[in-house]
Amino acid sequence: MTVLSNKRLNSISDLDDMRKELLSLRSPSAKSVHVCTGPGCAAKGSPKLYELFCEAAQQADADVEIIPKAVGCHGLCEYGPIVLIQPGDIFYQRVEEPDVAEIFRETVVGGRLVERLLYENPVTGQKAETVDKIPFYKVQKRIALAYNGLVDPTKITDYIALGGYSALAKVLSSMTDEDVISEVETAGLRGRGGGGFPTARKWRSCKEAEGSPRYVICNGDEGDPGAFMDRAIMEGNPHSVIEGMLIGAYAIGSSDGYIYVRNEYPLSVERLKLAIEQAKELGLLGENILGSSFSFDIRINRGAGAFVCGESTALMASLQGRTGEPRAKYIHTVESGLWEKPTNLNNVETWANVPAIINGGGKSFASIGTEKSKGTKVFSLVGKVVNSGLVEVPMGMTLRQIIDEVGGGIRDGKRFKAVQTGGPSGGCIPEEHLDARVDFDELTKLGSMMGSGGMIVMDEDTCMVNVAKYFTNFLQKESCGKCTPCREGLSQMLYILDRITDGEGQAGDLERLEELAELLEGTALCALGKTAANPTMSTIRYFRDEYEAHIKEKRCPAKECRGLFRYEIDSEACKACGICLKNCPVGAITGEKKVAHVIDQEKCTLCGICWEKCPFAAVLKV
Amino acid sequence: MYALRDLLGEMSLCRSAESIRKGKPVPTVTIDGCKVRVKKDATILDAAKKAGIWIPTLCYHPAVSSEASCRLCMVELDRGEWRQLVTACNYPVRRDIVVYVSSERAQQARRGVMELLLARAPESEELKALAERMGVKETRYPNVTESQRNCILCGLCVQVCEEIIGKAAIGFAGRGAERVVAAPFRQPSEDCIGCGACAAICPVGTIKVRFHKEEQEVEISPFKSRAKLLVCQECGALITSTLVNEQALTKANLNSEEFRARLRLCPKCRRLQTVAQLGAVTFRKK
Repeated sequence: MTVLSNKRLNSISDLDDMRKELLSLRSPSAKSVHVCTGPGCAAKGSPKLYELFCEAAQQADADVEIIPKAVGCHGLCEYGPIVLIQPGDIFYQRVEEPDVAEIFRETVVGGRLVERLLYENPVTGQKAETVDKIPFYKVQKRIALAYNGLVDPTKITDYIALGGYSALAKVLSSMTDEDVISEVETAGLRGRGGGGFPTARKWRSCKEAEGSPRYVICNGDEGDPGAFMDRAIMEGNPHSVIEGMLIGAYAIGSSDGYIYVRNEYPLSVERLKLAIEQAKELGLLGENILGSSFSFDIRINRGAGAFVCGESTALMASLQGRTGEPRAKYIHTVESGLWEKPTNLNNVETWANVPAIINGGGKSFASIGTEKSKGTKVFSLVGKVVNSGLVEVPMGMTLRQIIDEVGGGIRDGKRFKAVQTGGPSGGCIPEEHLDARVDFDELTKLGSMMGSGGMIVMDEDTCMVNVAKYFTNFLQKESCGKCTPCREGLSQMLYILDRITDGEGQAGDLERLEELAELLEGTALCALGKTAANPTMSTIRYFRDEYEAHIKEKRCPAKECRGLFRYEIDSEACKACGICLKNCPVGAITGEKKVAHVIDQEKCTLCGICWEKCPFAAVLKV
Repeated sequence: MYALRDLLGEMSLCRSAESIRKGKPVPTVTIDGCKVRVKKDATILDAAKKAGIWIPTLCYHPAVSSEASCRLCMVELDRGEWRQLVTACNYPVRRDIVVYVSSERAQQARRGVMELLLARAPESEELKALAERMGVKETRYPNVTESQRNCILCGLCVQVCEEIIGKAAIGFAGRGAERVVAAPFRQPSEDCIGCGACAAICPVGTIKVRFHKEEQEVEISPFKSRAKLLVCQECGALITSTLVNEQALTKANLNSEEFRARLRLCPKCRRLQTVAQLGAVTFRKK
């Protein structure tokens, strides 16, 4: 292996030879242990598990070769840390440090299952031995995440062995720039960053624009709260992004690329850096790639923590060392972008789809999805679902399928209320529209959007006014402040929403919000401002009654807005244990032994401690 | 010092020679039914001026580049199947287009933006006067943001300091509702030469030039930057900031025939020519 990694590949046959050699070096009886070190599993201590597996593999004197691998996100973060044993596709969930020895002894060496670590279907109680028997994975289709969980992201050889960079080889050996663009056009690929702009059209405009050099940028400034789609790709399979950029650059005629990553993703930066270094060593980046006349290099730029830098013009300003603020796009960035040169920007997931399109053909990619939205989309499914995690589903799947089949339904037997898609500027979609298909245009019609793929599920305990306030607050804080409507309008909207959730809403507040929303949509400078009213507008559209309850009756139906509901003790359920009485900080609770306790509403400050502490759920929100 | 306001008004951006070159297409802009022809890449605002149609502006100034940050000059652009609100000050005309300035939606957008600005800077007389001209009598919004008193954050001061004076002594600090115009670390700037271009260009009268006679200093408020004043050696009158004088001297070639010729001009015309030389601006006679 070490011999291989230092060799520069001077032709396409060199790459093929290397792949063959890599495969031949693999012992057919070798077993590999894939330890997920994606963000969710890593937070639960999986890097330590990987170390333990490495130690165990070193000490073992088994006849077969055992390869422990630290791999990218598997998606089912809820059940992390996840360990996969190959061959066999054996899936272990919630693995802890003491389990390592057992897995090693029983499964890796002994070939037996460790029953208690298998995934158990919460509905049927059946154990799933392999990945494909887990309902979470059954309806998913992985293209962008295809190699996540299979390759070690720190080894280019892993990626190459699985066919990595073969799409680049195909492009360099047998396709013209126009062929590549046509293939992407046939695929119907649309930008996965939020706008859903047809990728091929963008590439063509950039290719045809006057001026040189041309730049290619990968937008890895994923800033939506709770979203980690791009992060998982950058950390789990960075070479797919690099290969996608190489192919795009070839089609556009660019030799300079940038990856803009937020600095809050230090591991993404590290993985990408390493991947770029390794690709350069092999001659897959740099001058005369694979012996061809095509040259391309990539630099990494780290963002400084502004959400607005995910907007293309703000990102380019930031790349140039200026304040990350957007500018008018009446002249598109494909014509005049970075340093006022033709610039093509796509997000991480878009780039990661490109090698698959070239390898499998545009037609096969276009066979997945709906009429105008092709392929798959990665979502980070979070909130009140049973299986929170990272999912990749074909376009056109209904929201209900994603939430119920992939997500496993709502947690704790609660009722579903809404799903928020599209990140902070997206909207909330209620139950009556759950059969809507995931599709760029369909989600927009419902007052939400695809965005970059955040999906937050909310249950009956979520106050929709509070949700609107949360996102408006986020956007108001992240607004760059350059243009009047976004800076002033969002502050005004937040002021009204604050008032409503404080129980001081006034008649006409909803109309004022609607008017401000219309103003923002029409007059704001960039997409952040233009869509910033979506959370408020979609919740007013579908949950107007909740707003009215807050304003007119000073009541929060979900019982989340402090001050808009009371705490009472159910005298039937109260066991007179005295816990609430002891814990009440203001002495508002009275009661004796064997006598149901009572809250003095005059004294009560609505802190909610009694509600939290009551072991019999006798304290009620009313 | 205050004459600079008039001077800046008489400047116009040097249009690139390319676009003036003959043979380029000359698109027609139809504004509220009135047809005007402008050179390619002129803005809707240029076309409106030519048509004699007034569009209110705040952050626009011909001497500096258009940032379109105030969003006051919104007009409706006919896109065939739909109409889009665009900013007149920086929308480039590249083909024949149809624009509506006085449509209900365009007016509503402009008035909405003005109301937000009035809520932010309720004390500015200049802003009130412009609002009235637009038919906005008062704002329905409370004053919820005021990172800087009476400042609408249009950015003209920042631009003129960087693009024309070449100093960039002030810039934006903070983000969103916290945004302010300030010198680094919100301290008096060492780069400020006390020229007062920022005060001259400020459309709402927020930036002021103050003379401190005793200290013989000029102060640019609210930035607290000060510069020593040049004093007339004959009568002791305060002339201008010494730093402005220095900068002017480095830019002007005193031994040239041009300078000698200029000595034959009256003070006003001489000033106009000097200012014209300072930046990428052309001198246009009335």
